[in-house]
Amino acid sequence: MKKNAQNAGIDEVNFYDSAFNVRLKRNLEILSNVLANPTTVLGLIIVILMLAMAIFAPVITEPNTPDPYQMPRDWKAARSAPLTPGHILGTTNRGGDVFYGVVWGARTSLKLSILVVSLTVVLGVIIGSVAGIVGGKVDEILMRIVDVFLSIPELIFALAIAAILGPSFTNIILALVIVFWVKYARIMRAQVIRIKQREYVDAAKIMGASKLQIYLKDILPNSFSPVMVQATLDMGNIVLVGATLSFIGLSEAGIAEWGVLVSEGQAGISAGRWWASTFPGLMVFLWALAFNLVGDGLRDVLDPRTETKR
Amino acid sequence: MSNSKNTILSLRNVKKHFPIKEGVFQNVVGQVHAVDGVSFDIGAGETVGLVGESGCGKTTIGRCVSGLEPLTDGDIFFDLTPEKLVALEDFEKHQSEIKNKYLIDEIQSTSNISKIEGDDFYNYRRNCQMVFQDSFSSLSPRQLVSDIVSRPLKIHKVCADNELIPRTIELLEQVGLGKQHLYRFPHQFSGGQRQRISIARALALDPKLIVLDEPTSALDVSVQAQILNLLHDLQKQRGLSYLFITHNLSVIRHMADKIVVMYLGKVVEAGKTEDIFANPQHPYTKALLAASPDLSEDVMSDMAALDGPIPDPARPPQGCSFRTRCPVSRTECGWEVDDIIRRLEHHETLIDSIKSVHQPDAFNAKLTFETSLSAIELKDVVGTKDIPKQMRKAIKKIEVKGNDVNISFDPVQTVPLVQSENGSLSRCVLANK
Ligand SMILES: Nc1ncnc2c1ncn2[C@@H]1O[C@H](COP(=O)(O)OP(=O)(O)OP(=O)(O)O)[C@@H](O)[C@H]1O
Ligand code: SF4
Ligand SMILES: [Mg+2]
Repeated sequence: MKKNAQNAGIDEVNFYDSAFNVRLKRNLEILSNVLANPTTVLGLIIVILMLAMAIFAPVITEPNTPDPYQMPRDWKAARSAPLTPGHILGTTNRGGDVFYGVVWGARTSLKLSILVVSLTVVLGVIIGSVAGIVGGKVDEILMRIVDVFLSIPELIFALAIAAILGPSFTNIILALVIVFWVKYARIMRAQVIRIKQREYVDAAKIMGASKLQIYLKDILPNSFSPVMVQATLDMGNIVLVGATLSFIGLSEAGIAEWGVLVSEGQAGISAGRWWASTFPGLMVFLWALAFNLVGDGLRDVLDPRTETKR
Repeated sequence: MSNSKNTILSLRNVKKHFPIKEGVFQNVVGQVHAVDGVSFDIGAGETVGLVGESGCGKTTIGRCVSGLEPLTDGDIFFDLTPEKLVALEDFEKHQSEIKNKYLIDEIQSTSNISKIEGDDFYNYRRNCQMVFQDSFSSLSPRQLVSDIVSRPLKIHKVCADNELIPRTIELLEQVGLGKQHLYRFPHQFSGGQRQRISIARALALDPKLIVLDEPTSALDVSVQAQILNLLHDLQKQRGLSYLFITHNLSVIRHMADKIVVMYLGKVVEAGKTEDIFANPQHPYTKALLAASPDLSEDVMSDMAALDGPIPDPARPPQGCSFRTRCPVSRTECGWEVDDIIRRLEHHETLIDSIKSVHQPDAFNAKLTFETSLSAIELKDVVGTKDIPKQMRKAIKKIEVKGNDVNISFDPVQTVPLVQSENGSLSRCVLANK
């Protein structure tokens, strides 16, 4: 017995160690599958560059005081063309530095997409799980609500809500959350219904696992990959829709946000001052593209349903 | 009856009906009679084989036994002493004179799996485990073998944390795997090995009963034999009882002490394995045996193989439910109006001209046709070969009144399970003689 316990001690260390290694190896395998696709790698490189830009924004450009998310104004240098000393990408009509807007806009976008995605994922996963697990009337009602939400085009819906709430960046976040959670609810519900019929769930019930344990250990981990794929895609989509709303004027004017900047530069386009709108516009495009490329790559690897397509 | 041993499991008139829902409002429009009054016992250390065609309710029974499905009716008792079993049987026979009410109450509250609570339920959970057919679906793809096999130990706090892994290794070794398999994912194993992992998981809590739902059907024949031998050895070492579900008769012959043959949710024959193989009583059992070539024996050569569709379990036939396919059916097998309609498949125009069916019960009906000609045609068809002789004889009355045809049969009770000459139970009018 004593000897046994000693062995146990050794195996114990071994246990977590090897379990960790095996899981790590598995994840690296998945990663290498993701990286086998060149377009995904391209997307990932752009994503990393964007993220680096967002994170190191205060290093790249001197933060504006007091609020770094407000564009600094240099009225004397208004309407400078790109490559003007001190204003490498030029300035807007109102003297906003385009380069500053591009760099801090990445930070705004990152803030926006992470906030919206995490809120919508949490909301959608909870509601979808409840619908899928409880079933019956609750499911019926929740899914009718989801159907109504899904029947309205994303952009128009977000626009309407943001307009009702009044122009501010916080309201844009709120509008986007209201619009984007439904997809997760639907995905999660379908997954939960699929997974809860698996026999490993029955096996867990038979061994006496509690409902919560079954949800956390069996259902959630096995139904999460499509949610992750959708979240990656939405990291891009949300910035696109958010920028559109800002462009229309639904966020505060003057903040370092790509949509706001495009809108600010718009007036100058007819006079040949293309730069103020083009650079931030390009950033929105690249951001959305990059996350969509990565999302598609993830889907191919994680989602067995599309596996045959490749 | 095994004399001094406990009865590990006793099913008494177990019913499980699934509602059929339709439409937006999910109205219940009928019930699938998946299990319809099943009774049998499993003794300690015994293997009971449950056989029957696809859809007859085998898996449903397994799921009821393991507590995954609540029962519609009936009781399942777990681990009864011989005295308790006798008391229960006594009580069922003489409901009115309750002699030992307190004992019955005790049995209900400590052994009835739908009523037990607390420690007793916990105890039952530990003692009844299940192995599924599909070894892919029964192991979570995101858990390592170590997690899968040690999970029941953790849930029931069987051992200290630092003993978890040695115990898991021990379990793996008992099913012919080892330490080297601990940290792998299920998809890294073959089908046979995955089934071994499932068995190790089922053994973890040292149960008394394991429900095996077609544990080898998905495996190659050679692997199948290895798994069956493993199950056999484990049973010997640990005194396990098995409820072995399969449609493969050669497997059941190898494994089971007793056999329960099911058809459409009901037991049609039950008895000792040797008896049933040597001298099957029920025409359905005979047909099943005749249909497995490796087992065919002279007794069965006169039986035609099973043909025809299995009736809809939402509307199981009255009388003997096997009569729609029985090659030796009799007049008294419980014919009903639906049988005539089932037999009209070659007369499409006649079926199309039925305007309405008024059917107060299964044995009486008024069919209304578009024309009186069709009504007369129906009566004529009943006179032809399309309707078997025994069925025709069972018709009490068939009369044409204008566009209507009134048909009535003698009402028949469900054919009971009775002791036949070889000692097994059989549900057939032929065995009642
Ligand atoms: N959850 C359910 N809801 C509705 N009907 C069900 C459900 N489970 C089983 N049934 C029905 O009950 C009947 C018996 O099914 P069951 O799975 O028990 O059969 P089986 O004997 O195990 O068949 P197989 O050999 O194909 O596994 C079938 O008609 C089936 O359609
Ligand atoms: S009672 Fe016996 S003979 Fe009659 S149909 Fe049923 S199985 Fe056949
Ligand atoms: Mg089955």
